[in-house]
Amino acid sequence: MALIGGVYANHLALEAALADARARDAEAVYCLGDLGGFGPHPDRVFPLLQDAGVRCVQGNYDLAIADGAADCGCGYTDPRDNHFARISYDYTLRHTSAANRHWLATLPPALRLRVGNARVLLCHGSPRQVNEFLWETTTPDGLLEKFCRDTESEVVCFTHTGIKWERRLPSGRHAVNVGALGRPENDGTPRVWYTLLTAGDDVAVEFVPVDYDHARLAGEMTDEGLPPHFVETIRTGWWTCCLESMPVKERSRGRY
Amino acid sequence: MKPLVIAARPHAAPRAPFRELRSLWFQITGTLCNLACRHCFNASGPRDPWLGMLAPDVVRRYLREAEALGVREVYFTGGEPFLHPEILSLLQDALAVAPVTVLTNGTLIDDALADRLARMSGLARYSLEIRVSLDAPTAAENDAIRGRGSFANALGAIRRLAARGLPPIVTATEIVAPSHGGSLYERLRTVLLEAGIEPPRIKILPVLPLGRCAGHRSDRMLTNADLEGFDVARLQCTETRVVAAGGIYACPILAGLPRARVGDDRLADALVPNALDHTACSTCYETGITCTNF
Repeated sequence: MALIGGVYANHLALEAALADARARDAEAVYCLGDLGGFGPHPDRVFPLLQDAGVRCVQGNYDLAIADGAADCGCGYTDPRDNHFARISYDYTLRHTSAANRHWLATLPPALRLRVGNARVLLCHGSPRQVNEFLWETTTPDGLLEKFCRDTESEVVCFTHTGIKWERRLPSGRHAVNVGALGRPENDGTPRVWYTLLTAGDDVAVEFVPVDYDHARLAGEMTDEGLPPHFVETIRTGWWTCCLESMPVKERSRGRY
Repeated sequence: MKPLVIAARPHAAPRAPFRELRSLWFQITGTLCNLACRHCFNASGPRDPWLGMLAPDVVRRYLREAEALGVREVYFTGGEPFLHPEILSLLQDALAVAPVTVLTNGTLIDDALADRLARMSGLARYSLEIRVSLDAPTAAENDAIRGRGSFANALGAIRRLAARGLPPIVTATEIVAPSHGGSLYERLRTVLLEAGIEPPRIKILPVLPLGRCAGHRSDRMLTNADLEGFDVARLQCTETRVVAAGGIYACPILAGLPRARVGDDRLADALVPNALDHTACSTCYETGITCTNF
């Protein structure tokens, strides 16, 4: 089972990840939402997902674009973060077709599946809130156990922060942030990640790196007039903005 | 020193439902502080604090209860939290349960304390965030509000923490008069960049019409009509509780005020609808939740 997080209009990474998942004989591919934002040509990811039969969860960005909302719904208060989030959101809204916006509106807020004997919940931010940031160092075991109990799941999977992590809880359940496919994860490399869940005695979680033509994506972003700050992230792997919600521990691993 | 009395309202206050416990605050030093800021919403200061300190056992008891309830984050505030004699061991205990944030004026963060906090942060699995208050981008403006030397002390603490890989969130209340030099955010950002803090983490807070700033803004009380069609998730009292001397209170702004007291024993019993019975409720109503880090 392949799980992909925030695609953020990175159609080149999506193509590469879908090919990689096929090559690994993944039984199915699921997307945990946020198809647009940040990257260029947001309409290009829709046929890739639909042709590959990827079932998608609705992210906060998808919800906002479907509704034509005033902003992306990330909830930033920092003026600088909001400045860049606004550019990205306005671009994505302008370049997403009416048909694709309608499709986004039909996506469910969560999906349930089974991997072996384990009941797995897929959502975007958290089971209780589409735009809740579940960072590794600010998400306590007690809260994750509660999410598992409340949703009657052995495995809860989410994305939204853009940085992957996994934790086996004291009860033996699992929490998995599947990371993001659309943007590198602030580690100084341009690669991106998706996640494989494999059934067994216990569910095995594997994070899979994806190398793709990031230079081409950066070129497309420049041609589309997207901010150089965004292009720098694609080229270098370091995040340059929208850092307000990032906790101090994760922040200390990045450049900015 | 007593907080100003809040006028009685003519009609029953609207009630905000309780959704779930996300943040737990400890008013750890009550209103004991080594500064006496002009705008302090709970009128903290060095003499005759009207709200007492919390005993360590009380803090530990509520940490255990909050963990079982699935709390997301824990905050320590005051007063000045680093005046509490047991603060470091309590922070360590809290960090075993959840991410922790300390709201401080920074004056006590010397090299030794910065070293200890950085070491504690490095060893903890959850994030330790320090929020340092700095209300204006110049010593003259800031010290007129927070007291002589407070600008230099806060900036020193910010530098020390940042140099140890623990860059604090600089928190400013919108108390200074608007300047032609740009917004408060931009002016603070410039000063912090010049001090080598890059990128600065800045959080701007509204002035609260309480304590020494009573009457600063509208003293409007919310009504039932205000809640019609309103997203109550914007109100902090729907997802937070504060442990302070004398009991459990609805939100960190109102800790210690009798009409905001929602319990005195088990935390689980205090997760009940809260009467929006204070003028400060209108600030939260208008701005959304601003007390948490994000």
